[in-house]
Order: sequence, then C-alpha cells, then structure tokens
Amino acid sequence: MQALSTIRLALMIFTVSGATSSLAAEAWNIPHERAVVLKGRVVDALCQLKGRCAPDCGGGKRQLGLLLTDGTFRLVAKSNIDFAGSIPDLIGFCGKEIEADGLLIENPAITLFFVQGIRTDAAGSFIPAERFKADWETRNGKAEEWWRADPEANRIIAADGPLGIKGLVPKPKP
Amino acid sequence: MLAKHRCGGKSRPFHLDEGSHMTIMSQWRAALVVSSFIGLAIPAAAQDGRRVTITGEISDTWCTISGLMFAKGTAHHQCAIWCALGGIPVSIRDAKGNLYLILKIGDDDDSASNPRVARMATHEVSVDGELLERDGVNYLLVDRIADDKGVITMTHEEYGIQPFGN
Repeated sequence: MQALSTIRLALMIFTVSGATSSLAAEAWNIPHERAVVLKGRVVDALCQLKGRCAPDCGGGKRQLGLLLTDGTFRLVAKSNIDFAGSIPDLIGFCGKEIEADGLLIENPAITLFFVQGIRTDAAGSFIPAERFKADWETRNGKAEEWWRADPEANRIIAADGPLGIKGLVPKPKP
Repeated sequence: MLAKHRCGGKSRPFHLDEGSHMTIMSQWRAALVVSSFIGLAIPAAAQDGRRVTITGEISDTWCTISGLMFAKGTAHHQCAIWCALGGIPVSIRDAKGNLYLILKIGDDDDSASNPRVARMATHEVSVDGELLERDGVNYLLVDRIADDKGVITMTHEEYGIQPFGN
C-alpha cells in the first residue's frame, strides 16, 4: 500500500513538472523524420561554419545548432511553439553541452533538427522547448496566437498584403 | 492536432591596427589572447565555400520540408513572414527543389527573426554569395541580391491562404 502511494506521488510530481526524463520526441509523421536525442555543444552556425563569430552566439539574432562529439553539426530549426524556432531555448546554453530530444529530419534537400526538449544533466528531465512564447509575451503582452499579434508581422502584412502583392486581396470566404 | 501541424548584435570582423608595428607572430598571439577573453575562438571546422549565384523563392524551411501545407507563392506568403519572424531558418528554394539556408545577407549577420528577410518572404530572387556544404545542409552567405522580382508565384486561387485560410 505504501509502495502504491509512492508511485502515485511520483506520477503526480511527473505530471506537475511538465517535463519528462525519458525519450519523449513525439512523431509528426514528417517525411524522413527520426526520433533522436542529440548530445552536443550549442554553437552559432555562422561562427561554426565560417569563423564569423559574435559574442554570446549572436545574442539570439543568429541561427544556432549543436556540434556533436563526432564533429557533425546539426542546425536546430524548430521548437514546440507554432511558427517559431528554437533560438530562445538554446541561447542560454551558448558554448555549453546539452542533450536535445527531438526529430531529426534527413530530407534529401536539407537535414534539420526539430527540438522538443532540452536538458543539461543526463539524469535530469527534458524541459519542453517552448521558450519563444514566454519571451515574446514579455516583450509584447499576452496573446493567444502570437503570430497574429506580432507588431512586425502586422506591419509587413499591412504594407504588402497577406498575399505579398500590394492591392491583391484574397476573395472573401463564401 | 491541427494546431500542432502549423509551420509552424552584429559582429565586427577582428581587425588589428594596420599602423602597428607588430610582427605577424605577435599579431596572432594578440588575436588569440583577445579571442580567449571575449569567447570568440574561431572553430577549427570553419571553411571556405564556393562562389555561386542562386535563383529561387525565399521559402520557410520548416514548412517546405514538413509537407504539412502548401508552402509556395502567394498562398504561403503570410505564413512565411510569421515563420521568419519566429526565427525559423529561411532558405532559397531553386527550381529543382534544392534548399539554400541563408546565414547572412550582405553585412547583416542576423539570420534569425530578421524583418529585412521576412519582408522578402516568397519573393523570387537571384543572389550572389558563398555556398558552404556541411552535414546535409547547403548554407548560403548572401553577398548581394542581384534581382528581386517580388512574389510571382500565384498559388492562392488554388490553395487559399495557408494554413488557416485567412
């Protein structure tokens, strides 16, 4: 009975923490996807590839990736947040080793990594890669759909239209 | 489930005073010391690429490879703006479907959430630059946008506005 209570307590803690310690990558059924945990150092892509480096991996303005122990460089392109990349999740780990749980997509046209969780301790829990929204809301306030409320996006769409051609408007929905 | 299937400081080149009288060796030592202090050690894997001219559509890389929506032309323009501002890598997709992931344009090293790049979403462009191939990715360092035709691929009549219809 005591063991059962302990299991229940462990399950409650697991649920509340919102993190998982095991392989957690969720399949998206994207062609060429493969669930993997990548272990490597967070680096700035332009610095890694070209030696054109900036302090703090570019301070959030540059694409980031993981340099694996075998020398492979994997660009991390996407996080769990809709329409958003993973830079806010990675930038705090610039130059540090992490483990990233996610989907490696080895499309013949390009190989990218979609990160779903990050941890720094192999025995620890993966923290969901969802920082973009919190950072965005700190700058812009709460919004259910950040992309429709983004001031810069709305400026661009107002200038050129949602189709990208001034004066061309979509037909009204029937 | 549908919701999950959506797309979804500039650096200065290191430069020693040209008027100094340091030897080459002492300059290198100075460079190493400075780079150690500011954490800018140049990676051993830094490479020289080859000069290329690439023509194609400015594309959201994630939407293009995920196949979760129709990611071309007018239908995808708005979504591509959102994704570019969200920090998802932007590529140029050529007529053969090859993707060239943009890491800089001119002197602008900002490759994430760059409004300048977002404004070119789904434009047909021709660019000159340096191509670096590494581990399954064609990275493009754009030196010059030789031509920008704007959005010329008309897809909205057939596909509506992706991914929501508005």
